[in-house]
Amino acid sequence: MTLDAQPEPAPDPALERRRFVAKLGAAGFVAGAAGLLAALLRSVVPEVLYEPARRFPVGRPADFAPGSVTFVSERRLFVFNTPGGFYAVSAVCTHLGCNVNHEEGRGFACPCHGSTFEEDGRVRKGPAAWPLPRFAISLSRRGELVVDTRRTVGPEFRLKA
Amino acid sequence: MNRVLRSVFRTGWPATKQQRLQAMLSSLVLHVHPTRVRVHVLRPSYTLGLGLVSFFLFASLTATGLALMLYYVPHPQAAYRSMKDLEYAVTFGMFLRNSHRWAAHGMVAVVFLHLCRVFFTGSYKPPREFNWVIGVGLLLLTLALSFTGYLLPWDQLAFWAITVGTSIVAYFPLLGPQLRYLLLGGHEIGQAALLRFYVLHCVVLPLAMALLVALHLWRVRKDGGLSAPPHASQRRVTAWPHLVFRELGVLVLVLVAVNVAALLFDAPLEEIADLARTPNPAKAPWYFLGLQELVHYGAIFGGVAVPTALVIALLLLPYLDTDTRGVGVWFARERRTANALFAAVALALVVVTVIGTFFRGPNWAWVVPWAR
Amino acid sequence: MGPLKPGGLGRGVSSGLQWLFAAVSLALAGSVLWAALAEYRAEWRVTQRRFRQVEGHLTGAANSGADERERPGLQQIWLPDIDRVDRCTSCHLGTGDPALKDAPAPFRPHPGRWLETHRPDRFGCTSCHGGQGEATTFRGAAHRQGANGAEPVASRELMEARCGTCHKERSPRGAPWLVRGRALVADRNCAACHELPGFSPVADVRAPRLDGLARKVSPAWLRAWLKGPRAYLPRSRMGDFRLSDSDVEALSSFLTGQPQPIALDTADWSKADAERGGEVFRRSRCVTCHEVNGRGGTLGPALTHVGAKTSRDWLYSWIRDPHRFQPKTLMPRFRLTDDEARDLAAYLSSEFGDSPKDFHASDAPPAASLFAEGRRVYEKRGCYSCHDLEGFPRLARIGPKLATVGDRLLEPAPLVARGLAATLPNWIYAKVRAPDTVLDGARMPTFGFSETEGASLAVALLSLRAREMPAARTTQDPVRPPYEPQGEFGALVRRYRCLTCHSIQGTGGTLSTVALDRIGSQLRREHIEAFIQKPYGIRVSLQERMPHLNVAPEEARVLAGHLSTVMVDDALEAEVPSDAATVARGRQLFERSGCVACHIAGEKGGYVGPELNGSAARLKPGWTVAWLMTPQKWKPGTLEPDCGLSRADAEALAAYVLSLPARKAKGAGR
Repeated sequence: MTLDAQPEPAPDPALERRRFVAKLGAAGFVAGAAGLLAALLRSVVPEVLYEPARRFPVGRPADFAPGSVTFVSERRLFVFNTPGGFYAVSAVCTHLGCNVNHEEGRGFACPCHGSTFEEDGRVRKGPAAWPLPRFAISLSRRGELVVDTRRTVGPEFRLKA
Repeated sequence: MNRVLRSVFRTGWPATKQQRLQAMLSSLVLHVHPTRVRVHVLRPSYTLGLGLVSFFLFASLTATGLALMLYYVPHPQAAYRSMKDLEYAVTFGMFLRNSHRWAAHGMVAVVFLHLCRVFFTGSYKPPREFNWVIGVGLLLLTLALSFTGYLLPWDQLAFWAITVGTSIVAYFPLLGPQLRYLLLGGHEIGQAALLRFYVLHCVVLPLAMALLVALHLWRVRKDGGLSAPPHASQRRVTAWPHLVFRELGVLVLVLVAVNVAALLFDAPLEEIADLARTPNPAKAPWYFLGLQELVHYGAIFGGVAVPTALVIALLLLPYLDTDTRGVGVWFARERRTANALFAAVALALVVVTVIGTFFRGPNWAWVVPWAR
Repeated sequence: MGPLKPGGLGRGVSSGLQWLFAAVSLALAGSVLWAALAEYRAEWRVTQRRFRQVEGHLTGAANSGADERERPGLQQIWLPDIDRVDRCTSCHLGTGDPALKDAPAPFRPHPGRWLETHRPDRFGCTSCHGGQGEATTFRGAAHRQGANGAEPVASRELMEARCGTCHKERSPRGAPWLVRGRALVADRNCAACHELPGFSPVADVRAPRLDGLARKVSPAWLRAWLKGPRAYLPRSRMGDFRLSDSDVEALSSFLTGQPQPIALDTADWSKADAERGGEVFRRSRCVTCHEVNGRGGTLGPALTHVGAKTSRDWLYSWIRDPHRFQPKTLMPRFRLTDDEARDLAAYLSSEFGDSPKDFHASDAPPAASLFAEGRRVYEKRGCYSCHDLEGFPRLARIGPKLATVGDRLLEPAPLVARGLAATLPNWIYAKVRAPDTVLDGARMPTFGFSETEGASLAVALLSLRAREMPAARTTQDPVRPPYEPQGEFGALVRRYRCLTCHSIQGTGGTLSTVALDRIGSQLRREHIEAFIQKPYGIRVSLQERMPHLNVAPEEARVLAGHLSTVMVDDALEAEVPSDAATVARGRQLFERSGCVACHIAGEKGGYVGPELNGSAARLKPGWTVAWLMTPQKWKPGTLEPDCGLSRADAEALAAYVLSLPARKAKGAGR
């Protein structure tokens, strides 16, 4: 609503053209500026990480005694060698990230806020709300146990090796 | 929704004259403008928009610089590696780096041209003396920003250029060596120097620049807007849209120029800085090559005397030249001598810079660039 | 309060300006689009898209490696301990997957089994291949030409130099150029003049002492030798020092002016019988170490022209006791009678008395006045680094330190002048082959290295870099204290120089492939004793033969006694059942395994391995079993196949072999 009370004048082709050019200019500017901003924001998404690889060997099957639970400290995970096979559980508490401790036969307990977990990672008592992830573990062509922290597997998964 | 929008933007999109006037006053960004401007000011041929261009270049440099800061590491080995990361492993990394470098070189050139414009139109005369002084400060800040940034890639080009530049500082009488020691955080260019240059380049100097720019723009307003000849038309038009539209246009032009330069030309990256091997010749950044040429004739002469004399002359200029005739006009007849003198000095600077860039080869011997 | 719809900022602005604005803002949008497109078309992205296509064509079993292949995006291997960042696998996407062997480059899997011993996540790519790992473009990665100061990706030969930065042992497996180069460095005693990590000069010196030179050689010979050693001795280790005639004269004066501490023995030459001397020569097998007329060993100097070099008296004195003249010589002191020695000297002097072609110089004694000048030349050229001489220090390290030669600053001008590419490998290659062409006034002699030798040396030297690999990544030869035998045994070992050809506990030579560390468990004492006195060829195909040192019986008894009681391996001491059943089973195994292809057993067999008849007198049973079970362990590279025998089978086979009687007609040896 404009302040003018006059009726709309007849459409003026010159005016239409000017309006179009103005819109073109505005569109170009908005597109360009938005594009630049998008490029700037895209550039801050890292392409490479200066972090240890997320898929790594943890040793040979023979390095883990049968029935043992081994804490691989530099990778923050536990490797279980059960009669049914191997599996790997993250040691990072799903509540706020402390390292959980393993208690023989009784699962895991987190020293920071008291969360407890079963042997296969399911939550027994909070405040943690999600189970400890079980990382995908496989046997490489050269006979090493390889853990892939980018993928998780179900609680029944065991690797025969 | 309308309520939410109106709580942010008090006036609507300015359509009426009233709104246009208010738009200037009710916006933080826009209120640096007056509500109305003289039409004379809008003519591109008067100011060439140089001050505006340098401001926008500074804004672009801040934006690209911030993004670059997320990847750059100010420690000797890591700095060079982070430059390679930017070139190879960051999406738009090379684009960012190129934009930053060419905008930086552009800003040094444009600031210099802006200085020339202000001189040739006599726009430093009363009441604008102090604003000229602030402007000289901005020029020095621009040079300092470019100089501190030059070291950051930590390649052979950067390292030796800064070696030459900081060695000139040491020639200053009395305090020269101590100044150099403070600047470098030691006796050599190493870890400490890089960190100091980084902090200067990213924090101290930009803050100082922002402060002086704010002051500079505020003084423009307080001094009665841009200068104009006494016979100029007194007709005024609203800043919105006439001034703001043109400024937007200049912004877009600057962005286009920076983008195209960034896409066409890659910023150089030579081998990693090596203390044991000086390239021959080792040249300062281009804006100091005139100085380096003069230093060739005499260290004190070229490194201390001439720059100091120039800066002092610039600072004292508006207080020495009180003749108020010839303001607001390019190459006013009344200011023939002053203009000629300035032009001569400016030309001399350009000539020695050109000599230093193209006509000096290994051991700073004379070479003819086209006779290869 | 007005409406918020944008009515165009440009309302009120002239039409021309509107057009201009529209144009520049479209240019802005265009430039941004251009930037986005350039990023989309980045080399690594394009390559990865190509790879997805290639991958898409793999079906079924071939695609089983899909899980192990990397997710899309830039790949990075970061090795902080050696400060390397490698992004090669962003484009080289199939390195670990054999299913891609027919894929186009760069997706092919890595050849060989290198990735099993050198896992990429522990070594990256550029540690071995060179190039610039951080790059994600072909040019940036320095595939052909250097970039950002990084060396280009290395050729197969130059890669071995990089092997050497971690593998500090003398002979790393799989790197023939490096091994050859390091052997050359040791053999030519480079460490005498250049400080080189991993090579010590003193132990490897094999140049003669220069005391008493005047009694040994004629002035003519000395002059001609100094001017060009290889004219006399083609395989001389001494390089050509490019001495001027005046330097030669001065040096001759200096060397012949040295005091003569040792008097020569004399013999009655009228009684000398050169023919009998020839028999001594052949019986003693001098050619094992000394080449004559193009045939023979290289442990000692060739004797083809020895008569022109030195006198009969000197030869006679030397043969009687080499250690008197050269305490460090490798030559044993044979047990010869004076007559035999005299005859041998006469034989050598007459049979091999011709001077080589183009090896002539004036025989006038050099002027004594040049003695001081000669000493200056001697010092300047660092002769005493290889040749001991009374009054001089042990070493003359006149050459630059080579510990970081792989990162040496390059002076391109001499290479460009010779039309060679200005690279460091080329510089080192040119320097070792012709030092004076790349360095004015070079003091390094011209050793006459062939192209292969020069290249091997360059590879070995290029492995010496400024930045050391962390200790956790390097491997070296185990350091063993030198073995120094003591007592009567030691004196005999030193007299007969056993360690010239044999090694014990890592000390000694490798001319004999039989290390003596456990010889007492391998061979019967009686055999050892007899062999020492009368060595013979165990294998027909062998070229080298142990020389006939004419060891006295008591001496042989001492040597054999010590070797049999001390040089033993308890794990090898075992008996083998000799009952008929075992022997019969062994015979079956023997026939089934086809051993006669290489060994004579009974009346027939091959000539590759030793004859097996009568081996019970030679071999000990425990050793025979151990050898049959794992021959490659005892002698890597042996032709004896590993048949995977169980212990029981090996015992049976050993029982059979040891039961074979000696053949009556043929005696052992020649």
